[in-house]
Amino acid sequence: MAELTRRGAVTAGLALAAAPAKAAAPLTVSQVLERMHGQTGAPWFERGVDRIIAGDPGTPVTGIATTMMCTFDALKAAVAARCNLVITHEPTFWSHPDTVTRLQDDPLYRTKLAYMKAHNLVSFHFHDHWHGKKPVDGIHQGMADRMGWSGYITEPYDRHINLPPTTLGALAREFQRKLDDRTLRVVGDPALPVKRIAVSWGNCSLIPGAPYLNSDCDALVIGEEQDWDLIAYAQDLVTAGRRKGLIILGHVLSEQWGMDYAATWLRGFVPEVPVKFIRIIEPYWNLRKPVFEIGTRLLQTRVLP
Amino acid sequence: MSDLTALQLIQRVVAGTGAAGRPHTVDHVSAGDPTQAVTGIAAMSQATLEGLQKAARAGANLVFTYDPAFWESGDNLNRLETDALFLEKRDFIRAHNMVVFNLQDHLRDSMPDKIAAGLARALGWQAEAGNANLFRRPATTLLALAQELGAKLDAKTLRVVGDPRLPVSAVATSLGNTAQMPGIALLNSPIDVLVCGYTHEWEVVEYCQDMVAVGLKKGLVLLGENASLNAGMKYAADWIGTVVTEVPVTFVALPEPYWNP
Repeated sequence: MAELTRRGAVTAGLALAAAPAKAAAPLTVSQVLERMHGQTGAPWFERGVDRIIAGDPGTPVTGIATTMMCTFDALKAAVAARCNLVITHEPTFWSHPDTVTRLQDDPLYRTKLAYMKAHNLVSFHFHDHWHGKKPVDGIHQGMADRMGWSGYITEPYDRHINLPPTTLGALAREFQRKLDDRTLRVVGDPALPVKRIAVSWGNCSLIPGAPYLNSDCDALVIGEEQDWDLIAYAQDLVTAGRRKGLIILGHVLSEQWGMDYAATWLRGFVPEVPVKFIRIIEPYWNLRKPVFEIGTRLLQTRVLP
Repeated sequence: MSDLTALQLIQRVVAGTGAAGRPHTVDHVSAGDPTQAVTGIAAMSQATLEGLQKAARAGANLVFTYDPAFWESGDNLNRLETDALFLEKRDFIRAHNMVVFNLQDHLRDSMPDKIAAGLARALGWQAEAGNANLFRRPATTLLALAQELGAKLDAKTLRVVGDPRLPVSAVATSLGNTAQMPGIALLNSPIDVLVCGYTHEWEVVEYCQDMVAVGLKKGLVLLGENASLNAGMKYAADWIGTVVTEVPVTFVALPEPYWNP
C-alpha cells in the first residue's frame, strides 16, 4: 500500500513538473467518496455494508467504473476501461458484508485480491446509501428509467408503479426484452390483468414481500428470494384464489440499471475523471436458451429502449 | 383412523432415521395438535396450501414437510399474526385436524442421506461409496447434464452457470438450500459441477462466475427448491411406509411454482 501511495506521489510530482498551470493534485478515492457523502439527499451513516472492500483510499483515481456486482469479469472490464475505482452495488467477496475471515486461504480470494493489487484497483461497496437516496432510491430511479417508466414513479415514492393496463405474461416479456433477461420466472396466471405493481429490486424477504403482495397491487416484481419463503407465499396466495402475480427477475438484472444511474449521478460532481457503467451479463442460462455468455458489456453511452 | 397419535408416529419416524438430533434443529411440530389421532401420512417438499389440499384429499392429516409451512425457516409466526393468508392456512390445517412436522435435519443426517438417495434413485445414478452426494458419471457435458436433470426431475426452469460444452464427469449435489461456505468448499473440491436447489446469487453464484472468469472448469446448476427435493421426499415417503404400516403414506409431488415467459 505504501508503495502505491509513493507511486501516486511520484505521478503527481511529474504532473506538476509537466504542467505547472494545472497544478491540481490527483483525485484520490477518499476525495471521491467524501464528495458522494453530500450528494444522496440523506445523511451519510456508518452502519451497514458500505465501505472500501479492497484497495487503498489514498489511491489516485484514473477513472470510475460503476457496476452491479464486483465480479472478476467486472474487474477485468474496469481495467480495460482504465478505471481503477470500482463502485459496486453488490459484494466483491461473495457475501453481503464481504466477510473474508474464512476466505484467507481460499485460492480464488487470493487470486482476485492479487489481481486488484496488481492493477491498483479499489472496490467500494455502495449498497445502503444508494437505496437510501432521497427523494427516490437510486436503484429504483435507474430501473424505472431503463423500463421507460420514469413518469410512473409514485409521489411520494412508495415502491408502487401504475402502468398502462397489461397482463402478467406481457409484463414478464417486457422485462425480458428490456433487461435481456433469459431466465426470469413468474408465479401466477399469465392472463392476470395488471395495472399497478409493487417493485422490490434485488432480494426481497417474506417481510416486506408479503405486505407488498397484499397491498393494492396486481403483481410484485423482485430480483431474488428463497423458494420456501416469499415465492411459496405468492404461490399460496394464488392457490387461495387471490388475483396476484410475482415476477422474479434475478438479482443482478433486477438492479443493475440503478448503477447506470449512479454513473450519471457521479458525473455530476466528479468531472475530473471518466465515469463508466459496466453492465453485467446475466449469470445464468436455462434449457430454452443454453448460451455461454460471460464477461460484461461495457457501455459508453446509455442505451434506452 | 388409527388410535396412534401424531406425536407417537413422529417419534417413531424420527427415531427410525437413526440420526442423532442436532442441538439446533429445524425439525419440529409447526402446526396442529400432536395428540391428534392420525388418519394418514403425507410427505412433501414444502407444506404449501396446494400440498395441504392434496394431502387432505388423500385422507392424510399428518404432514411431513422438508421446508417450512409458514414461509420462513423456523416458522417465525410473530410477524404473521395479522396476515390474512397465514390465518387462512392455519384455519385450513385446523379444519382438517392436521399436524405439520418439519422433517429436514433427520433425513439429511440419516445413513444414507435420504434426500440424496431419492435423487439418485430418480436419476438412476449410483453415488460414490461413502458419499451419497457425489456421483461419477459417464463423460457428458454441462448442457447434456442439465437436460437430463430437467427431464428426469421435471425442472423446466432450472438455471445454469458455466459453459454448456463443459466436459462433466464428477457431480456433487447439495439439495435444498446451499449456504455460502459449504458451496464454496464443494466448488473447490475435485468436481466439475455442483447441483443445488437454491443458493444466493450474491454468494455461491458470484463465486462460480468468478471461477469461470479465471478459467477454472466449473459449472453450477440451480434446480429450484421443489425440483431438488421432490425425489428425496418421495424416497422419504416410501421409507416412512416401512416404519409406519398402520396408516397409508402418500407422497405429494409439488410442481415448480413458477414458469418462464
